[in-house]
Order: sequence, then structure tokens, then C-alpha cells
Amino acid sequence: MDSHAPTIEVPLPPKELQREPLLLNKRPLGWISDQIACIVEGRTPKWWWIAFVPSFIIMCIGGAMLAYQVGTGVGVWGLMVPVAWAWDITNFVWWIGIGHAGTLISAILCLLRQRWRTSINRAAEAMTIFAVICAGIFPMFHIGRVWLGWWLLPIPNANGIWPQFRSPLLWDVFAVSTYFTVSLLFWYMGMIPDLATIRDRAKTKLRQIAYGIAALGWTGSNRHWWNYEKAYLLLAGLSTPLVLSVHSIVSFDFAVSQVPGWHTTIFPPYFVAGAIFSGFGMVLTLVLPLRVVCGLQDVITVRHVELMCKVLLATGSIVGYAYGMEFFIAWYGGNPYELYAFQNRAFGPYWWAYWAMITCNVISPHFFWSKRLRTNMWFVFAISIVVNIGMWFERFVIIVTSLHRDYMPSNWGYFIPTWVDIWTYIGTIGLFMTLFLLFVRFLPLCNIAEVKVVSEHGDPHHKLGGATGGHH
Amino acid sequence: MKTIPPPCPEPESGQKYWRSLDQLAETPEFRRWLEREFPQGASEFADPVSRRSFVKLMSASFALAGVGILGGGCRRPEEKILPFGKSVEGYIHGVPQYFATAMPTRGGAVPLIVRSNDGRPTKIEGNPDHPDSNGATDAWTQASLLSLYDPDRAQRFAQKGNTISKESALDALATLGAAWANPAQSARTAFVLEQSSSPSRQRLVTMLQLKFRDAKWVVYEPLDLQAWRRVTGAAPYYKLDGAKAILALDCDFIGTEADAHRLIRGFAKGRRIEKATDSMNRLYAVEGLMTLTGMNADHRLRVATSQIVAVAAAIAAKIAPGNAEVTALAAKLPLPAHVKAEWIAECANDLAANRGASLVLAGHRQPAAVHVIANLLNTALENNGKTVLFANVPETRSTSTLAELATALRAGQIDNLVILGGNPAYNAPADVKWADAQAKAKEVIRLGAYEDETFAASAQTTLQLPQAHYLESWGDATTSDGTVVSVQPLIAPLFDGLTELEVLARLGGLPTTKPYEIVRETFRATAAGANNFEESWKKFLHDGYAAGAKPGDKAPTLPTGDITSAFAAVAPVTLSKDSLEVVFHRDSRMDDGRWNNNGWLQEFPDPVTKVTWDGLILISRRTAEALGVKNTTTSKTTTDLVKVTVQVGGESKSITGPVWITPGMADNSLGIALGYGRKKGGTGRIGQNVGLYNAYDIRASDTMGFATGAKLEKTGERYELAVTQEHGAMEGRPIIREANKAQYEKFPKFANNFDLEAHMDFVPKYEKPEDGPVGRPKGIYEHPYEAYSKRKSMNGVNLEGKHLKSEIHAWGMAVDLNQCVGCGACVLACQAENNVPIVGKDQVTRNREMHWMRIDRYFSGAGDKLDEMIDDPQAVHQPMMCQHCENAPCESVCPVNATVHDEEGLNVMAYNRCVGTRYCSNNCPYKVRRFNFLDYNRRSLDQLKGPFYSSPMVGGTDKEWTLKRWWKNPDTGIRPQDEWDILKLVKNPDVTVRMRGVMEKCTFCVQRIEQAKISQKVKAGQSGDVRVPDGVIKPACQQVCPAEAITFGNQLDPQSKVSQLQKSERSYEVLGFLETRPRVTYLARIRNPNPKMPDYREIPISVQEYIGPKDHPKNLNPLEPHGAHAPAKGGGAGAEKKGAH
Repeated sequence: MDSHAPTIEVPLPPKELQREPLLLNKRPLGWISDQIACIVEGRTPKWWWIAFVPSFIIMCIGGAMLAYQVGTGVGVWGLMVPVAWAWDITNFVWWIGIGHAGTLISAILCLLRQRWRTSINRAAEAMTIFAVICAGIFPMFHIGRVWLGWWLLPIPNANGIWPQFRSPLLWDVFAVSTYFTVSLLFWYMGMIPDLATIRDRAKTKLRQIAYGIAALGWTGSNRHWWNYEKAYLLLAGLSTPLVLSVHSIVSFDFAVSQVPGWHTTIFPPYFVAGAIFSGFGMVLTLVLPLRVVCGLQDVITVRHVELMCKVLLATGSIVGYAYGMEFFIAWYGGNPYELYAFQNRAFGPYWWAYWAMITCNVISPHFFWSKRLRTNMWFVFAISIVVNIGMWFERFVIIVTSLHRDYMPSNWGYFIPTWVDIWTYIGTIGLFMTLFLLFVRFLPLCNIAEVKVVSEHGDPHHKLGGATGGHH
Repeated sequence: MKTIPPPCPEPESGQKYWRSLDQLAETPEFRRWLEREFPQGASEFADPVSRRSFVKLMSASFALAGVGILGGGCRRPEEKILPFGKSVEGYIHGVPQYFATAMPTRGGAVPLIVRSNDGRPTKIEGNPDHPDSNGATDAWTQASLLSLYDPDRAQRFAQKGNTISKESALDALATLGAAWANPAQSARTAFVLEQSSSPSRQRLVTMLQLKFRDAKWVVYEPLDLQAWRRVTGAAPYYKLDGAKAILALDCDFIGTEADAHRLIRGFAKGRRIEKATDSMNRLYAVEGLMTLTGMNADHRLRVATSQIVAVAAAIAAKIAPGNAEVTALAAKLPLPAHVKAEWIAECANDLAANRGASLVLAGHRQPAAVHVIANLLNTALENNGKTVLFANVPETRSTSTLAELATALRAGQIDNLVILGGNPAYNAPADVKWADAQAKAKEVIRLGAYEDETFAASAQTTLQLPQAHYLESWGDATTSDGTVVSVQPLIAPLFDGLTELEVLARLGGLPTTKPYEIVRETFRATAAGANNFEESWKKFLHDGYAAGAKPGDKAPTLPTGDITSAFAAVAPVTLSKDSLEVVFHRDSRMDDGRWNNNGWLQEFPDPVTKVTWDGLILISRRTAEALGVKNTTTSKTTTDLVKVTVQVGGESKSITGPVWITPGMADNSLGIALGYGRKKGGTGRIGQNVGLYNAYDIRASDTMGFATGAKLEKTGERYELAVTQEHGAMEGRPIIREANKAQYEKFPKFANNFDLEAHMDFVPKYEKPEDGPVGRPKGIYEHPYEAYSKRKSMNGVNLEGKHLKSEIHAWGMAVDLNQCVGCGACVLACQAENNVPIVGKDQVTRNREMHWMRIDRYFSGAGDKLDEMIDDPQAVHQPMMCQHCENAPCESVCPVNATVHDEEGLNVMAYNRCVGTRYCSNNCPYKVRRFNFLDYNRRSLDQLKGPFYSSPMVGGTDKEWTLKRWWKNPDTGIRPQDEWDILKLVKNPDVTVRMRGVMEKCTFCVQRIEQAKISQKVKAGQSGDVRVPDGVIKPACQQVCPAEAITFGNQLDPQSKVSQLQKSERSYEVLGFLETRPRVTYLARIRNPNPKMPDYREIPISVQEYIGPKDHPKNLNPLEPHGAHAPAKGGGAGAEKKGAH
């Protein structure tokens, strides 16, 4: 090094403008690998069993409910005419909405170079995939003759009968299955380097083989990395429109119909915003306990949580705006049936669902204007659950209250769920938790490789990352 | 070789019994055919023995074959069909046959044509050729078909509790009859019969009365619908179509009086208007319960049932002021406080102004005095011979009352009891204590359709004989105009039942015991004078009636003593919340309890309350408020259980039942339905435990119509009810459009002024009918079918001449709301024709009833105050079924193409393709699609009660694990084999029996359309004239409609009746602004109130609701010219027209 060259001191920005590091306590690279991989490698912790056993039992109850429903008829649910869709589609839309955050975090935030995504994207993607699995159960099982559900697929057949391409339900089939496939690929591909890490650290033959197969022969060579980065970017680009399309198309189920309260053009953006809102709510619900029990407070930091809270605040405000705009249009549009549908939402027999939705979705995110509340983990956790309850109610309000009183007063009705409805829904939560816990136990729940990139040690410009203060 | 089309017997329409067109035409073919007398396969008529064996063969083959094709549903059926060894002459497999018969009712009969598919009667229709019928029937007649196939009917011959063979039962009958015929024993013998208009029964009874000289004869009916006859001694025969002003004194002639189907027709005829200037009748109703008659009345006066006599007397005193007795009665009975003298006076004036064209009717519940007054009024108004005639209908007279017989039984004076039909142990007045009395008899012979309460009352002494259903019996009856009709069997008795005629003949030891012979013998008297008895007999059976009866016009003169005693019997009644009146009414579904085990009727919504599967305690809103009881309908429909206590013969008796606040009920009055509260052992699986109370428990011999002095107290419990329409208000929506006659005359096009866009002058509208409905805003997009038909080719396929729309047929329907009275017969006709299953009470509470057709009933409240609204509402009815929209919202959302449009404009459901997403139902603005949630066709009768639905995974059927059983034969579901075997016989083989998970809906009876098209094709042959003539196709609802409110036909035929009606200025589309373009259109309803009446309203209340609160600047009156029909522009400010709230 040229000792004559003057040392260029770049003064640090003032304290309040300094970005908080994404990995706290200047953790070294080895610590990252150890800390994340040890969840997979270590003994099964007690908390895992405490969470897993009830989840598994609930999942089995849900399975029994579905078996009962298929064996007996959809009538075991509380559905009826006029409310021919109720908890089934409510749950479907709710789960699909939750499934939005994962791909948004990994794809859109990747394209937007939001480096904070790396700590949470893996768990969020896993959440996405499991949520879409849970979501898929409902449209599949809500139909009257489950065993003929494959008729919705465009399979060439001797009768020459095709599905009806004008039906939004068919669009759903395409949208959801595409979303699921791409998300799964994205998730798996992003996991390959980490699977290789675990393979390399494996102490038993079984693990070596299992993770070895899963790692697809990853060696970490420059060429591998180069291909990986390209593919990752391509998939991110591919997923980005999907994030917007899935929920837009799900919203067409309603918007394309002519039920007052469904037939509105605002639905696609409103649904997407709501989906991101609920997705981030669910990410927070999952990640907040995880970072504690897995000792990942330095990886998933308060700053991460705060950033997610800001997303909640933004999307929650969009959702609130949409609620208001719906009412405005109902009044301004001058269609008495539509006006009635909205009045009925707020003041009809299901007023409680509407006001539960407003409380949870419109009011609760506004607490996050306060930094003190954003950084209070217990508070954030509580709000994240409230958000998910609110978003469930939103779908319930849209579906059930619109249907229960539409055009013909003679046929108005009141939907009441049965215990099968309730347990099927809870059962999917059990399925989701079961899958998620298995994921936590057997797969790296944070992106080891990418977290290293955003760490100070991994930053070549940072002192810890090798920079010694000058150009190199 | 050229395929020769199968022979198509004349006439070649789908419904070949409609020979009326030919008859009118008097074509040579028809003459030839008439001479042949019995066109197809009816040679068996001449010889009952071969007919029976044919029918037996058919039923046997079905029992063996398992009728896979019927039960197949959406699954591939397992076919086990035994071929005929030898074909039956004239029988074409799969082609239904039609036979004339009649359903006997209490004092009359309903003449019928019954369809038989392969030996099974599958649909009952009215006999249109009968001089006094238009082919209409009522709901009970429609549902009687299901009772034929009731697996809970009495099936065994039993003596002293043991099952015996039919032969020994008949021997026992003969032995007992012979033993009782001597004078000593005959004095200890009593016969209990039901009312009957059968000349044969009357003949046999007369013969037996000679044989059993001193026997007591009791004709007992819990509901004596012939009350007027009791007073005047003659059977009145009303001609309502000739009446311009009608006064109904507690007479529900549209609903629950005898012969309603016929009276509705007369009434509706009198209301039929084609132009605004046509005249129509005016109905005044004075009643305590809210009934269909009151709902259809132009003026309805709400008076407690026990006080109606006062109103009747007051009106009579106005019309016949010279009659001293009437004036004295009117003076004796004070009018209830809320009755305005003007009402009485103007009503009387209107009746008097229509002298000779008016009619006063008195209800069967009312005491003799009201019947006497009605008779006096009709005489004073010169109606006799014009709107009231008197027919010769045979009647068996009692020699003793049931109460006297019970006393004699208790005194040990009677040992031998013959009970033919009826169920006195259940429905006798409570003070008679019949069941105890009956148990005193040493020998009881009982002919009963069920092993019911009467059987149970003396099971150890009874010779129980199963009674044959009328579709299994030979018999005869007389309709109310005096025409004798034949009752012919369509099927051999399923359970070997006997008819009343056979039992009487065997008991009397008569030489002829075969009912066929008995009827034939009786007919000799009717046919006396005919040249050829054999020919007239054949004609009688074939036509179903013997023409020629002429009701007389001479009113019988009432003996003065009777009038005096009748008037003396009434006294002023004061009612209060502590001394209520209890009205025992004929239930619109159970009748007096006889239809208790009929699932179709149990699930048939009451036309007024829309409640199913329950008997209610009807109460007015004010009284409910005073007594602190309420019912809620917002979420679950629940109501207070109340205890009603009445003094019966000095004892305090009570019943507990659900209370139901009914708009329009008189205050301090309780309506209590007969026919419920039956328990296991009394009735079958459907009827047991339906309804909480048995009204007969509090009904005494002297209070058969109504009782006073009742008390009501809350029990504190709540009870859930199954209601098919929870919301009774139209919410100001223009779904049913109506106007008063005066406005209609001024603004004939008012109906279309209710349209949402009628006031939007700035929106471009369709101008030519071929583009779209004239006056409707232009669509932005071209109609896809039209766009398609304009294309020359698509995907390389030449489309020239291949139109998606047929150029021959476009099916449409017009429903005249001015005709419809809301009786609901169409609902049951549709159920029978289209294999619509029942779902049970639990499922109805969950809004899962399956009726393809419903009658929407809306109340609209008068006045601005809620109080007034509920007290004296106006009501409207609307039959609602699939509207067969040309732009059907259901079609575009079905992901599997299961609901599609056919080229003739039907919105068709491919059940096989349906996977059950229910999206179509959500998107249907009319909510007329029905979803089979729980495999209702295969659920056992026990399962109807819910709420846990057994799954094939757990639980057993026929002592086998259901899943295993299902695996072996997926067709039977969880129905026990015995139920399944018999209940499947009722199905119409031309209509798929839908499985679970499939959406279903009205098809316009596509099977009838197709049959008619096929036979028209066969008929057309080379001529190519394949257009089905107008009037040939009648869907089940149109066929049954007594009011002739429904018209179906071809819209492409400008001469067809439906095209004419749809061009009417009253014609409108429901929710037409959605651009669904329904093929079903409605004709607006017209009210005809009397401007001089104190309760006159210038516009109907529903229109006031639509307009909204008065003085609202934006609200436009649709009954004023504006918009498209206005001479000058205006109304732009009213663009966002109020329609809901």
C-alpha cells in the first residue's frame, strides 16, 4: 500500500441518520451459519413439541371434517341459498391473501433492492406455500361433487367438453396453481445454497444423503453462484406480476358477478392491498415468536419488525381508503340495490362483522405511526393477530353480507356456521402450523447465504468485511 | 331399410288427453278416434280383470327390477330390467298413459286425469273436459300422489292385534256382518263414516240401513265444510265468475273452503282484464284470521271471528231493512269499536248496486246465523239462480251425533262398531272423549289408511283393514255441480287395501262385493235412459264423468223457526287479552290432519305465514305486544312457546305451541291449526312429532269453529320454526308492480315506469324490439348470440344457416299477477312433476328447501306508523321460478359449462356436468336455483328431522355398515330398502333424480316440451311443420293453476297467447335493468278498491313504499306520466331513483 497516499476519511453521518445494521452485534459469518443451521441440526427443542403436537391433532380433526363433509354432503356446512358461499370461500380468500407476503418479500423487494428482505424471506416464502396449500383445500372441497373437481382443468376429452373460460372460478384455478408452482420453485431454488451448507455440516449419513439430494450438487463455485443469481432474478421477475395477479383474479370471483356489494371495479387493487396487509400480519405473527425461541434476535431485528409495521400501516391505510370509497361509490352511483347492500353491511344483521372488520383493519394499523409501539414486540404481535382477524372478517363481510340480502327480499336469509365449518377452518390452521413447524425443524428458516451478504462481515466496503479504509 | 317412426297414437301431442283442440275442430280423425272410444291400450278398460293383471304385472316387474333407471340420478344406473314375456296390447314402453279418475273430497270430488308411467301413477292433473273444471287442482290433490306411495300406510290385515291373511279378514268381515244383521244385534251396532258424495256409497248405505235396521249411523267430519248445507238443506254451487261484487264473511274460498280450486277459477275469471277499460270484480272480505281471501281482497275488514256475525247482521240490515229479524239481530249485536259504519254502508251499497251480480259467502267456521244471513242476502240481492245455484249432491245423513254415540258406548248400549275411514280417536271433540268410548266396544271393524290413533284406541278388539288409496280403488263421486265422476284405479292396491264400498258390501252380505261391479250398478241409475248402457259406461270411465248435471236455481226456503233459533243462538262477544278467542282453522297443508304423513304437504309453505313443518298459534301484533310474546326472524326464526287454556265441557284444557305474529290478524284472537301434534303410533315417520300441539285437545263439540274465553300465557321457552320466507317486506323495490284500477285507466303503461332507468332521459334507449326491450338503456356490448349469428364463419367452420337461436321456437312465460291468488298449487305440481325432494324441517330452517318454484309473498304496511302497517297490511303474491334469462348471469360464471343456453332460449342445467360450485346461485339475482346439499333423495325419512346428518362412514342402514352397503349398491343411499322400494315409484321417469352436490332449478318442464316437439315432428312428417301449436305444451305449474295465471308458449309465434300477453301494457320484467332479459315476464297487478270506502287508498301501499316518504323532492310517482312515456321532458333530477329504503 502506498503510504504516501493521503488517507481519505469519510466521516460517518450523524448518529440519527445512520442506518441500523441489518445484523446486530457485529455477528461473524460463522455465527450466522451456526445459529441458523443448529435449529435443523440440534436436538428437537421442547417448545417445538409443545407447538407441534396440538397443531398435528388439530390438523387431523380438520381432515376428519373434510372426510365427513365429502362422505355426507356440503350440507354439513352452514351454507344455503342465498348464502351459497360462506366460510369456505372466506377462508380461501383469507389464506390466499396470507400467501401474498412471501412472494412479495422475496420477489418485489428483491427487485427493489430492499436488503432487509433477506432475514425474513425464507420463512415468508414457506408461509406462502403452506398458506396456498390451505387455501387450495377450500375451493376444492367446497364443491358439491368433490370427486369431479378435475373437470375444472382443461383436459382434452372424448366428449369435447372444455371448462368454461368465461368463469372467474376457472381463472382462479389457473391463477392459484401458477402462483403456487412459481412460489414453490422460487422457494426451493433460493434454498439450494443453504441446503448445501447443511449437507456439508451433516454428521450422519442419512442427513448427508437427504440434504445432498435436496442440494442438487451445489458446490458454491463461482459458476454456480452466477447461475443462481441469474435464475433468482428471473424468478423474481416472473413472480412479481403473479403477486398482483393472483389476488386480482380472486377478486374477480366477486367483481365479475352482479351481486350488489360484489360488483365493483375497485376490487382488484383493494384485494391486493388487503392481501399484502394480511400477509405481513401473518409474517409478523410467525416471526416474532420464532426470533425469540430460535435466538435470532440479531438476524431478525427490531428494525425488520419496524419496517414490516410500516408496510402494515401503508397497506392498512389503502384498505381503509377502499372501504370508504366503496361507500362513496355506492351512494354516488345511485343504484338503490348497491346502496342498500352497503347500508346493510354496516347496519344490517351482520353489523358486528362489519364493525369488527373496521376496528381491526382500519383502526389498529394506525397505532404504528408511533415508533414506540412499532418497537414494542408484544404490542406488534398482538396487532399482527388483530390484523389477521380483521382480514378474515373483511372476506366474511364481503361474501356473506353481500349474499344474504341481495335483490329479492323474499329470499333473504341469515347464515350461521356449523361446527363442521368451524373445525374445518381451524383444521387448516392446524395443517398450516404443522407444515410450518416441520419447515422450521428441517429446513433453514433464514437465508444463510443472503444474510451473510447483508452482514457487516460480508460487506466488502465495511471494515469488518475486509475494507481497511481506502479504495481497493 | 327406412326406419318407420314408432306409432304415435292420436292425438300426437305430449299430453294426448288434451283432445279439446280436436274436439273443437271436430276433425274426421277425431271422430274416428272417438268412436274407437279407448284409444291406446285402453281395451283393458272393458275388462277390469285384465287391466288389473296388467297393472299387477307392471308393479311386480318394477318391484323386481329395482327401477334402476329411476333411481339412477346422476350416477350410471345399474340396470336390471325384466322384459315382458308377452307384450301388452297397445302399450308402448316409455310412453305415459293417461286415465280419467277423481279424488273424492268431503262433499264433492276433484275430477282428474292421472298420468301413468309403466303402471305407476306419477302425476295428477285436473280433468279439463269436465264441465266444471279447467284442469286445475289444488295442493292437496297434487300431494295425494305421494300418499299413495307412503311406506307408512297401513299394510296389514289385523285382528285382535294379530296379523291375519286378507282372506281370513274378509271371512271375518262376512261372519261379523251376518251376526250383526239380526234386529237385536243391529241395535247394538254403530257405523261411523266420513262425508262422501259417492252415489254408490249412498246406495250401499241405504241397503245396509234396511239390513241393520236399528243401527246408529254417524257421519263425522272434524271439519264440516258443508256448513251452509246444514242450514239450507241444499248444496250451494257458486258461480263466482258472474259476480261483480263479492262479500266473503270469514269465508276463505281461495284457500281452505271446499272446492277452492274451482272457486279460485271463477274469482280469477272475474278479475281478468286485458285493457284498462275492462271491468273486474271487487272483493270485500270480513275475517279474523289472515287468509288468502283477505290477502286478495280489495277491502278487508279485520274483525274477530266471533264478532263477524255482528258485521254480517249490520250489512244485512242495510240491504234488507225490511227484515225484522235481521234488524233485531243487528240491534242486538254491537259492532266492534273499530268498524266504521261507513264501511258497512258502502259495502252494502256496492252489493246492492250489483244486484244479481253479487255474491255473499259465509265460511264453514261461522255459526248458523251467518249462513242464514248469507242466504237471506243472496236472496235479497237476487243472486239465486245467477251466482248461486243448488246442486244435487248425494249425502249420507247421520242418525246420531258422535257425542251421542260415545255416550251410548259408555252406557254399554253399543257393542259393535264399524269405523270406515276417518280417525275419530284423534280428531273427535275433546269433550266426547272418543278413544275411551271406542275402547268400550266389544268388536270394532276399522277401515283405515293408517294404523293410527283410532286403531291404537282399541287395537285388541279391532279388525283392522287397510284402506285403499283412491288411485287404487274403484268408486264414484259427485262434484259440486252435481256431475257424477268415476274413480278408477291406476294401480293394483299396493298393500292389498280395501275400499269402503267393498267393506260395506261384504259386511252387508250383498251379492256383489267387487267395487267395480258396485259402481257399475250405481251408474245404471245415472245412465238410465241411455240407449246403450255399455257405451255410456265406457264413456263414463273414459271421460271420467257423466255429463248432463244441471244445478237448479231455486233457493230452498228456510223454515222460519230455524232462522229464529239460529239468530237466538248468537250473543254479543267481548274479547280482551285475558279473554281471547280461539279459532280452529283448517290447515292449509294438513287439512284436519289427514295429510299428516305427507312430506310434500308438510314442506309446503303455508300461503300466508310461509311456515313449514309446524302448526302455529297465530296472533295479532297488538295482542302479542299486550301479552308480551314475540317472534324474531332476523337470524334464526324463533318464537315464544305459549300455553293456551280453554274451557272444554267445564274442564280447563290447554295446549302449548309456538306463537306467530301474523299481520292482519284480528286482535284478541288466536288462530290454531288443526292436524298437528301426532305422535309415534298415531302416524307415520314423516308426521310424528310435527307441530307441538294437537288442537283437538281444546276443541269441544259446541266450539268446533271457534271458542272464546281463552287465556294465553308464556312458557318462557323459545322454539325454532322453519320458514321459507323470513322477510315479508318488498323494501320499496319494484318487484311486484301494482296500481289501482283508476290509475291504470289513466296511465296504462304504468308498469314500466317502475323501471330503474325509466326516469333517466339522458341515457340512450333501445328503440326497436328486435334490438332489445324498448325503453331499456342500450347495452354497451352486443348480445353475444347476436354477434355470433352475424358471423359468417368461425375457426374455419362455416356458420351460414347455423344459428344459435332457433327460428321456430322461443319459449317464454307470462305470469299475470292480477290472476294469481297465491294458493301455491303450482309449487306442489312442480314438485310432483320434477321429482323435487323434501328436505325436512331442520333443512328448511337452514334455507335449503328444494322447491323449484316459490310463491313470494310480500306485505306492505299502510300508514306511516309502524303500528298501522302491521295491523292492516296489503299483500301481494308472485310466483317465482327460473326466469330463463337470455343473458343468464348463472351461465357465464359456471366453470364447467353445466348451465348453458339452448337454441330455443331455455336456460338448461346439465346435471351430469354440474360439480356444484354454487356460483350460479350466487349470481342469480332471482335466487331461484336450488342446491341438493345432503342427498335429499336418498336420505331416510327418519333423517328428515336432523340436525346430525349421518354419513355413510359411520352408522348403519338395514343392519349393515352404510359404507359397505353403499359400496355394493351406490343407488340406495342411507334409505332403508323398504322406503326406497316404494318411494322411488313416485318419480317421474322423464326427469332425472338429482343426486347431492348438484344445482337444480326450473326447466320450464323441458320433458314436456321435448315430448311435444317429438310428437309434432312425427305428425309433421314430410310437411316440415314442426312448430308446436300454441297451447299444446303446458308446464306443470300452468297446468295446475286454478287462476289461469301462468301462460307458457312460443314467443316466435306472434299469435301465441304468451306473445300477446308479453305485448300487454301491463307486462314487465323483474329486475329488467340488469339486462338479464328474462323469458318470464309478469303482468302488473290491479287493485279495484271502492273510492267511497273509508279504507280507500289512492295508490297501493307498495307503490307508496316505492315512492318513499312523502315530500321527498327526488321521489317520482311511477303512476304519473314522465320519462319515456311523458309528453314533455323531465325527471332528470330523479335519476337516482329510490328503490330501496
